[in-house]
Amino acid sequence: MSDLARWHVDIAGPLETWMTVGNAMTAPPTESLGDLTPAGSRIVQMRAIWKSFPGVLANRGIDLDLRAGEIHALLGENGAGKTTLMKILSGSYRADSGMILISGREASLRSPSEAFAAGVGMVHQQFRLVQKLTAAANIHLGWDETPHLLSSRKLSARTREICSRFGVYVDPDSKVWQLSVGEQQRVEILRVLARGARVLILDEPTAVLTPSETAGLFQVMRSLAAGGCALVFISHKLDEVLEVSDRITVLRRGVKVGEHLAGECDQRSLARLMVGQEVFSTPQHREPSGVQTVLQLTNAYALNDRGRPALEEVSLTIRAGEIVGVAGVAGNGQTELAEVLVGLRRLQSGNIRLEGEDITGRSPRGFARLGIGHIPEDRTNTGLVLSASVAQNAVLREYLDPPVSGRFRLRSGEVARVAAEIVHEGNVQTPSLQIPVGNLSGGNQQRLLARREMRLGSRVVIAVHPTRGLDVAATEAVRRSLLEHRNKGSAILLISEDLDEVLALSDRVVVMYENRIVGEFDTASAERQKVGLLMGGHVSEC
Amino acid sequence: MAESHTGQRGAANGSRLRWRLERRAEVSWQASVLARAAAVFFALVLAGIVIRLSGMPVASLAGRALQQTLGTRYGIGQVAIVATPLVMTGLSVGLCMKMRLWNIGAEGQLLLGAWAATAIGIHAHGPAPVVLALMLLAGALAGAAWMAVPALASAWWNVSEVITTLLLNSVAVLLVNHYCIGPWRDQLVRGAAVSYRVPYELPELTGGGLHLGMLIPLLIAVLLAVSLRQTKWGYEISIIGRNRRTAEYAGMPLARHILLVMLLSGGIAGLAGAIELAAVTHRLSGWISSDYGYLGILVAGLANGSPLAMLPFGILFAVLLNAGIVLKTQGLPLNSVTAVTGVILLFAAIGEVATRYRITRKALAEDAGGSDTADPSGTSAQRVCGVLDET
Repeated sequence: MSDLARWHVDIAGPLETWMTVGNAMTAPPTESLGDLTPAGSRIVQMRAIWKSFPGVLANRGIDLDLRAGEIHALLGENGAGKTTLMKILSGSYRADSGMILISGREASLRSPSEAFAAGVGMVHQQFRLVQKLTAAANIHLGWDETPHLLSSRKLSARTREICSRFGVYVDPDSKVWQLSVGEQQRVEILRVLARGARVLILDEPTAVLTPSETAGLFQVMRSLAAGGCALVFISHKLDEVLEVSDRITVLRRGVKVGEHLAGECDQRSLARLMVGQEVFSTPQHREPSGVQTVLQLTNAYALNDRGRPALEEVSLTIRAGEIVGVAGVAGNGQTELAEVLVGLRRLQSGNIRLEGEDITGRSPRGFARLGIGHIPEDRTNTGLVLSASVAQNAVLREYLDPPVSGRFRLRSGEVARVAAEIVHEGNVQTPSLQIPVGNLSGGNQQRLLARREMRLGSRVVIAVHPTRGLDVAATEAVRRSLLEHRNKGSAILLISEDLDEVLALSDRVVVMYENRIVGEFDTASAERQKVGLLMGGHVSEC
Repeated sequence: MAESHTGQRGAANGSRLRWRLERRAEVSWQASVLARAAAVFFALVLAGIVIRLSGMPVASLAGRALQQTLGTRYGIGQVAIVATPLVMTGLSVGLCMKMRLWNIGAEGQLLLGAWAATAIGIHAHGPAPVVLALMLLAGALAGAAWMAVPALASAWWNVSEVITTLLLNSVAVLLVNHYCIGPWRDQLVRGAAVSYRVPYELPELTGGGLHLGMLIPLLIAVLLAVSLRQTKWGYEISIIGRNRRTAEYAGMPLARHILLVMLLSGGIAGLAGAIELAAVTHRLSGWISSDYGYLGILVAGLANGSPLAMLPFGILFAVLLNAGIVLKTQGLPLNSVTAVTGVILLFAAIGEVATRYRITRKALAEDAGGSDTADPSGTSAQRVCGVLDET
């Protein structure tokens, strides 16, 4: 008898029973689950899944098994097809062809609610919560088991019960907007679990989390797996994948290129599978070529968008041919620091000098004209216009100047020439200059943006999270171009949440904590632990 | 069960032929033109069916409508007369659309333009060309001035221009009525509150109702089309319209552009009012506009904001309106035309969505031969079939 048929007989019957009674049960279902689904049994079997989008084959005949009690990582670069595959499993997309068996039976998953009914739930990268409602209300929203008349007290009580059933805790009465990102994620997870999901898909759940929140999430994932759930962890971060998962499937360009137990892998072998070549290069450190101070910020005070202090007493110099890294947990003033240095945010007091000249108070355009480039934090919403063409985006910084424009005219020939240059120099993969930038992959978008800003930023480039969300190859490309730009004599400020990146690329590191610069190191002499402590605010211990 | 090899499975499945709905990466302009033409066609067919069901002879009605609107010199002149303000209000609304702003107030701006032209025409004395030029200028300025409040509020305080422009329409009607009933009322006209006749008229071009003012929308459409596509200003407008945050990041002066575009938009609508008065009605009244301002929103929507596309759509609406007048004499209510315009818009919206997709009937494996954004070499499909699990 084939595996398939056997599971159908052994598992499907009892599982179905569990799924119908599971929601109503007050006792933790995990206990009974234990004897019904032996650890390692295949809850989901995806067979030969094909899916295409215009111009892209996202999934090419992928097979995937998800087992109870197992955390299964789906690893791959941006655009490898991870999210697509999981959206097929969770009913958001329909496969062009292929078969999905859940508990041994062929399942029709034509909508997320059908997937929920089959026990599959997905926590998306962008949360789907109503900001103004409470956590409890969000969990119960659109759930057919929510009683029609329900006091908010009962709602909270139900939510608390759900929390303790799964060992995932949130404050039921907090409004979602008051919750941290990590807590919002837990609300999403509870929303899915409460509906009886036994297969939980997490799409890049750590992308938005701080390191401690990530640790908390991993704990939750492990306990859910121990309770018999099958978890899918989509990621492109090798260390996290190795840390938390039991089994790893690697996708590359829509093809499954490997499936391994986590114990059999290391970062190098996974990276090789992911990108098809060894990419781990360690950037060369180099003595700064000049000692000339290019950009100098003195005693800066600035407010954030809510009118609260964001920078206090911040002084910083960047010299020619030097990368200064800013380490720190997000939200300690880094965003505002970058905005101040490119003229987008006003200083309350203090001043900015460029090669000795006071440029405080100039317009953003004035800063740009002086040769200060800016790779912004949010490339899709700030740095690029996704619906505009590659060419239009490429000339965003040069359209005012000859030869691209005359007095009034914009010369389309010159626009195309500049765009072609940027695309070529930045190694941007695009079928044409006229397609919308939104059609490019994230990595190619960032290459275009980074190249454009380096062309502009002959003196200074302020790079904020330049590799966030990029795959390994694109990350390497952007890092290399930053180093090359430094070697040409530019002053670069690198703001990143990734401490490894900061330490690997920078010549000097400053640490920001609560709106201030609390430490400064030469990278050569910087101790990782010390930087980490400063980032966490342990100033006195250093 | 053994792990299957992806390549073999895929090939086996891929050889099956299937109808599929696919999203397009890009929508060609030919497709959108075709979709709009189809929308008009189907809306007319639907109207025909409804008329047929109510027991009227469709073919003869349609023939009569066509004959009287486009078949005679007089009919064509009438179409051109109606198309002129429609194209201009369309241009006015469409210009704002480029910045993702909604000018619902073209109606009011048009009325104010007509009002200002009347004021000049009644009170100024001088050589006709000078007074007429002054009338048109005053009309444009008045339209812009009427837009100034929404423009300032939108540029500086981010107040929704939809509300402000819409509400000012009612104020404009009241203002015009006040002058038509009060100070400017021509007592010699019985039964209707209209102003004195303005003695200056825009000269006719060739007879048959074609007047000099008809060249103005053509000129503005071409000017706008060129400057939106080929100037720095046009580039900034398109960036601001698509993503304001990027525009701020690039240091574009947002408030200045919002102000300028909205004032221009108001000016164009105001000019339309002045032309209507100086060339067609010669007297101010509360009903001088015939909803041109609101129909302009439909024209702009169908033209998708493209200045040159305003011309055919403005003319189309003019034909429909005039056909409605013809058909009214045959017992068809005038509102049926309004219904048809609504159906056209509905179908156009459906067509717009439809153009983003295409239906294919292909084997899946062959599908991969197309352009692959991540892999421009386009040979991925062949390679995939060879790639097996590396382990």
